[in-house]
Amino acid sequence: MRGSSAVSPEAQTVRFAVSAVVERAERSQALFGDKAAAISQLQAMAIECAEPGWDGDEASAINPLAVFVAENFVRALPNFIPLPEFAPEPDGSISLDWIPSRHRLFSISIGTNNRLAYAWLDGADKGHAVARFDGDRIPQRVVEGITSILSHGYASVRTA
Amino acid sequence: MLPSGLPNIVGDDEEITRFLTQSSHYNSAMPKPAAFMPDPKSRNKSVFRCGADPERIRELWEKTTNFQQTLKAAAVCKTAEVRNAGVDVIASEPPDAHANIEGWPWLVNDPELQKAKQKEIAAVIAQKSALVML
Repeated sequence: MRGSSAVSPEAQTVRFAVSAVVERAERSQALFGDKAAAISQLQAMAIECAEPGWDGDEASAINPLAVFVAENFVRALPNFIPLPEFAPEPDGSISLDWIPSRHRLFSISIGTNNRLAYAWLDGADKGHAVARFDGDRIPQRVVEGITSILSHGYASVRTA
Repeated sequence: MLPSGLPNIVGDDEEITRFLTQSSHYNSAMPKPAAFMPDPKSRNKSVFRCGADPERIRELWEKTTNFQQTLKAAAVCKTAEVRNAGVDVIASEPPDAHANIEGWPWLVNDPELQKAKQKEIAAVIAQKSALVML
């Protein structure tokens, strides 16, 4: 006797639901994986710059609180924004950079408080500002700024 | 004339060089703004008047370093571009060929706005700089 290949409507619905759940889980795992990798990279940089003078001059050690705030910032980034590059700054802050080309970049400094300094270059246009980060949501102005800089296509130039 | 034989005034056409000890201070396209951010203690950025010649860069690095860091690359920029960004390059010897990028904005009442202004200037200098891998 041959087995039937017919599937009941209920079974079909369950199958679709399971597929959707699996797909969502895989997608969030991929995103979490990317962010986890970025945070690992950030922590490695912080270890490398944990002592003063890491630049061969008088730079301060990276501040652990700045690392904590930067991690929260990365976790809070909307999924449609590519992950940034990281760089240490001589005052112990951390710079998060999006550099699609030499002519367009967005750079934000994360220090030990919730006010974040940022600047951008966009062709002949340039500017700077300060935004407040509550630890959970990226300020809308910052999201718009990054999105604008990346809007012409983001050819990642990350080295790590 | 300075002890190194260089003129007292750094000329607009001279190339100034920032030593880079962190690979995170550059990518395949350019040096990053963080590479040119001023030191909060000295309120300037230390550079050398040695251009883009790798041998000369290494020679000056070896004369001035304490060998606790490894020199990975250098960012080289025309002095005129630094001045166009709103800061100045002032000779500061010893050591030989040393200079500082000076005149950064300092706002005692608003350190974050101060930082944002500095970052914009540093970004312009970085954008105008060439990267020399060592």
